[in-house]
Formats: sequence, C-alpha cells, structure tokens
Amino acid sequence: MPERNPPRHEAMDAEPIVFVIDDDDSMRASLESLLRSVGHRVVTLDTTQAFLAAGRPAAPACLVLDVRLPGASGLELQRELAAAGNPLPIVFVTGHGDIAMSVAAMKAGALEFLTKPFRDQELLDAVHRGIELDRQRRRRERHLDDLRRRYAALTPREQEVMRLAASGLLNKQIAAGLALSEATVKVHRAHAMQKMQATSLPDLVRIIDALDATLPES
Amino acid sequence: MVTRAARVGHHRVDGSRVAESSARFRGGAAVRVGSDGFTPDGQTLLTTAPAGEVQRAVGLTMLASIPLVIAATLPFARQAFPGFEGVLPAYATALFLVELITGALLLGHFFAERRLAVLSLAAGYVFSATLVPAWALTFPGVLDVFGATSLDQATAYIAALRRVGFPLAVLLYAATRERPPLPAAWTWLRGLGTVCSAALAAFLLSWAIIGSDRLLPPLMRDARFVSSLWGVVPPVVIALYLAGLAALWRGRRSALDLWLMVVLGTLLADLVLLSYIGGGVRLSVGWWVGRAFGLVSASIVLVALLVETTSLHSRLGRSVAAERRARESRLTAMEALSATVAHEVAQPIASMVTNADAALRWLDKPQPEVGEARRALSRIVGDGHRAGEVVAGVRTLFGKGSPAHRPVDMRSLVTEMLARGRPEAEHARVKLLSETGPGELEVSGNAVQLGQAISNLLANAVEAARSTPGGPRSVVVRCARVPPGKITVSVEDTGPGIAAEHRQHIFEAFFTTRPDGMGMGLMFSRTIVEAHGGRLWVEDVAPHGAAFRFTLPAYEATADA
Repeated sequence: MPERNPPRHEAMDAEPIVFVIDDDDSMRASLESLLRSVGHRVVTLDTTQAFLAAGRPAAPACLVLDVRLPGASGLELQRELAAAGNPLPIVFVTGHGDIAMSVAAMKAGALEFLTKPFRDQELLDAVHRGIELDRQRRRRERHLDDLRRRYAALTPREQEVMRLAASGLLNKQIAAGLALSEATVKVHRAHAMQKMQATSLPDLVRIIDALDATLPES
Repeated sequence: MVTRAARVGHHRVDGSRVAESSARFRGGAAVRVGSDGFTPDGQTLLTTAPAGEVQRAVGLTMLASIPLVIAATLPFARQAFPGFEGVLPAYATALFLVELITGALLLGHFFAERRLAVLSLAAGYVFSATLVPAWALTFPGVLDVFGATSLDQATAYIAALRRVGFPLAVLLYAATRERPPLPAAWTWLRGLGTVCSAALAAFLLSWAIIGSDRLLPPLMRDARFVSSLWGVVPPVVIALYLAGLAALWRGRRSALDLWLMVVLGTLLADLVLLSYIGGGVRLSVGWWVGRAFGLVSASIVLVALLVETTSLHSRLGRSVAAERRARESRLTAMEALSATVAHEVAQPIASMVTNADAALRWLDKPQPEVGEARRALSRIVGDGHRAGEVVAGVRTLFGKGSPAHRPVDMRSLVTEMLARGRPEAEHARVKLLSETGPGELEVSGNAVQLGQAISNLLANAVEAARSTPGGPRSVVVRCARVPPGKITVSVEDTGPGIAAEHRQHIFEAFFTTRPDGMGMGLMFSRTIVEAHGGRLWVEDVAPHGAAFRFTLPAYEATADA
C-alpha cells in the first residue's frame, strides 16, 4: 500500500485557512478583509501557480477563486487539484455570469459559483460550508490513516484470522481452514481486536470494510 | 492546432481600453454610400447628372456618323424601293411603344423630381407616340382601314404634326430645365393630367385631320409624291430642330441634354433624307434610311433611361448591402464595447461592494475595528475612481473631444511594451527579441492606444509561440522606417501560424480559438491602427509562424496635414 499521506502533525482542530486567489488587487484586499472580519485566517495570492507552489495546506482549507486569471485559469486549477487527489472545496467568483462556465465548475465539484458583485453572506456561508467539508474530509482521512497504521501493525497471521472472522466464520472453522488449534485462533483474534481497537465483531467488520474501500484488492 | 486568438488582457483595468474599443465608432464603420458614385442627392440621375466622358464620346460619335450615313445614301436616295410596305405596321408599332415607354419613364422621373422640364418632355413623347397609330392607319396602301384612296393628305399632316410637336416639347424642356422642382402637392395629378392632355390633344388632332382630309390644302400630289405646299414644312421643322439643338447646347448640359441633342440630330438627318435627298418621295431608299433614323432617334432616350435605371438599381443594391454590412459591424462593435465596459466596470463595483461589506462587519463588531474599516473604505475610494475613469473614457470617445494626437516615439513604446510583456513571456518560456531600425521612429497618435495595439499583438504572439512543442520559441518585434514616410511595426512569432479557414475571421469581434479568449484584441488593434491612418495585416512566416504587421504615417508626414 502506498503511503498516500504525509505525516500529519497538526492538532485535530488546526485553524482553518481560506485561500483567496484573484488578480485584482482591490478585489483581493476586499475579500481578505471581509473574511478576516468574521475571524478567518486568510492567505491571498494573485496566481494559481503561486498556490500550487505553496504545496498542500496543513489545515482545513477553502479556496475562493476567480474564474479568469492570468496564466492558468480558476477552472484549470480545479481540474489540476482534482487530478492530484486533493479535492479542496472551491468557491468560484466571476465577473462574467457565464452559465456554461458555472455549469462546468459545478459539475467539477465546485461548492458555489458567485457572480460579482455578490452578497457577503453568501460568500461567507459558502466558505464556512467549505471549511466544514474539508474538516470532515481531513478527519475521515486521519481516521483511515490510523486504521491503516494499526492494520499494518498486525502480524500476517493476525490479519488473516481477522479477515476470516470478519467474513463470518466461527473460530472452529477458521482453525480448520488454517490448520491451527481453536485456542490459537482465539488468541490471534483477541490480539487483532485489541490492536484495531474494535470492541465487537460488527465493529471489526466496519473497520475491514473501511480499509478495503480505500485499498486496492489484496 | 492554431491557438492564436484575439485577446484582451483582462487583468489590468483602466479607462483607456474602453476608449480604444470605441475608437471604432469614430472611424471604423463609416457608411460609404458615396464611394461607388451613388449619392442620395440624385447626382447620377440622367436628368440632372452631367454627361460622363463615355456618354459624351458615344453621343458625339453618333452625331458625327450621321453625315457619313447620309453621304453613303446619297447616290441611291431617290431610287424607289417599294415592296416593303409590309414592314411599316411593325415599324409603327415599334415607334409607338418606344415613344410611349420613354414618356412613361420620364413621367416616373417627374414624379421623383417634380421638374417641369422633364414633364414637358414626357408630354412631348406621349404626344408623338399617340400620333403614330393614326399615321400608320392612314398610310396609303398599308392597312386600308379608311379605304385605299379616301385619305390622301392625313398621313402627311399627321407626320408634320409629329415633327413640329416634338421639337416644341424639347424647346419647352430646354427653357425650363434650370427651374427648381415644383411644390410636392398635386404631383401625381399634375403629371398624369399633363401627359393625358398631350395624348388627348394628339388623338383629337388626328381625328380632326382624318375627318377633314378633303378640306385640307394638299400636301401630297398623290400617295407617293409631295405637293409644293410640302416645301414649307421641312424648313420650319429644321428651324425648330436647330433651335432645340442651340437651346440644349446652352448652359450646363446634363446627360439627358446630350442624348436629346443626339435625338434632334438624328431627326434632322431623318428629315433631310426624307425631304431633300429622298426628294420627298415615299418608299425611296432615302425615305427608308430616314425611317431607320427615326426609329433610332426615338429609342435613344429610352435606352439611356433603361441603362440608367438598371445601373442605378444595381448601385442601389450594392450600397444597401454595404450599409447593412456597416450596420452589422457597428452592432458587433457595439456589443463588443458593451461587454468590455460591463467587465471593466463590474470589477471595481464588485470590489466596492465587498469592501463595504467588510467595513460594515468591522464596525459592527463588539469592539469596532476602525482601522480595518478605514482601510476598506479607502479601497472603495480607489475603486470608485477606477470605475469613474472607465466611464470617463467612454464619454470622451462619444463626446466631441477625441483623444489628443501627439508625437509618439515608437522605439520607446515598443521597448515599454516588451518590458511589460516579459513576465508573461518568461512564464511561457518564450524569448522576446526586438530590432529597431535607425533614425526617428515617431508617429502622431495616442500612445496609450498604440501601446494597447502592440501589447495585444505581443500577447497573441507569445500565446502562439508557447504552443510550439520543440524548437525555438521566440517572438521578434521589429520597428523601422519604410519609405515613403511610414513607420512599420511587426510582431513575428514561431507559433503554428494562422489556419487558412481562420484567416478571414481573426479581426472580427468575438472570434477566438482560445477557450478563455474574448476575441476582441485583434479587432481593437486593427481599429486603433486604422484610426491612426494605418493598416494592420497578417503574413505567414517560414518555416512556421505568423507575422502581424502594421504601418503608420511617420510624424513629419502627418505634421503638415
């Protein structure tokens, strides 16, 4: 299994960041001011390249993105992020209320598409929603990371026993299948449950499902 | 594929760009109705326009050829040439129709122009036409409607009437042609009334002549030979013809005057052949040639009118089409302008709204943050000025004051634009080069607009060069003097060039091959260059690439103008 995520040091509730990418100086400053006035941490950038160069944010984040930008456009950045498996929530703002463009953006998973000038509350709500979504996503990913780490800590025999147990076999059947004694199976199973922090058999089944859903068939 | 496209950089906002876009409204889309000679003031109407070179040449040639034809006829003029009486009804029919149609067309002219002169001429033609049937029906031995021998004099009297009536109408025409048009009221009644009266007069006169055939002093000894009384008629008519010719010759001659002179000339020839060379003998060679002259002379004005009508119609069609094209391009430019203005103004407005929202939120806090609110408010002031500049730019262009034309040093302008375009070019890994020729490179114009034109071309070239997969990626901007008194600027790229199917569209508004292009840059560039009295075009570059070139008049060349 590839190590998809770098180690995460930030606390569970690291302060979220709102990235504002707009090429218009005044527009950028106004967005920053508005977002800061409701207590957001804001980073402003004038090109999408600058954003990509900065690497992945280490906190829940939301992007406020102008559709038309010099160099790579906002829509291009959206595609790039999606391709890199980094689906940050994006709130698009645009000076051209272009239906085709907004449909494309929404289809590609944009959170909101606002036409300038927009109501501040709409933007703030969308940003809030975006941060919440990203927080949940990060939490899910962190949880999965934990599970993967724990799973990796199991011995091969324990992994085997755990999978067979989760598939609904009785200890006796597992013992027969693996040519082990029933007592040994019980010990392996207990170890696996403990290491995976599973409290019951259904819990274990859920964990296996969650792991399998993100792993290639093994 | 081709990625060159018209482009408007959207990331810097100022009033000048709007100003450039509307430059088209001042110079670009003028309706040139007059360019092919047609103007709505009637200067090409046959009745008012002066005779053209070609018309004069044709008319004079026709007049000059008359004596030759007469001379050629001389030896045989008196020879009898009977047996062709059967042609006479056809001849009469042709004469009748030709004169009637000419009269009708002239009447049409009268309805349009309301000039008394034209109406007199129309009446003259209709009068003459109406006498033709009576003349043909009474011609001895042709139709025998009235009996072969009963009418000896009517034909000659009617012929004499026609010969006197027409030059009188021409004289009336010549006398009244300088008069201003009649008042618009009653035009139809006046026109139709006059022409119908002429027809009625001709009808009643021929009726009277036929009715009193036996009472009239004899003009004819018999069906073929004239009496001594006939000797009076030709001199009178010739005098009338000559008077008509003299009257037409006098003053400024219109095309119609010229053709009427040719008509009188041929009629004169007709009469001379008939009365003197042919000895007044009917159905002689001279008489027949005279008939031919008569038909020609009757047709001249008709042909001229028809040619005029047809060419006028086609010119009208052309100018209507030209006007429609101009209107369409004006509409497109209007849409382009409004899109640009909308974009340029929407940006500061959006910024103002968001800044104001932010300021309110800072002030609404339990501990209002006045410093933050202040900063947001001062940004609003800046945005307001920015929007104001855009609006002022538009107003300047639509108002009377056009942007000032000053000497612009193209060398430093090119350098400046290259410096501005460099970051984008470096990002695209395209090399920017420039070559400027020696000497003064000054033009007269608006530096902001010309800079915008160059920067549009430059941005396109960089965009085109960036799509070259391997090999050199470069853009060369050249600026030099070319004789006589011109400055040329070219922007050459190593891109894929312009596809043939795009070539004719690239200067149109909203034409772009780039997904994010607005399709305005090239249109604006061309508009700007043309507004400065220059020309912008595109050429292919070997082995691949495109060169956009424009020329402008050098400053000294425009200074004295």
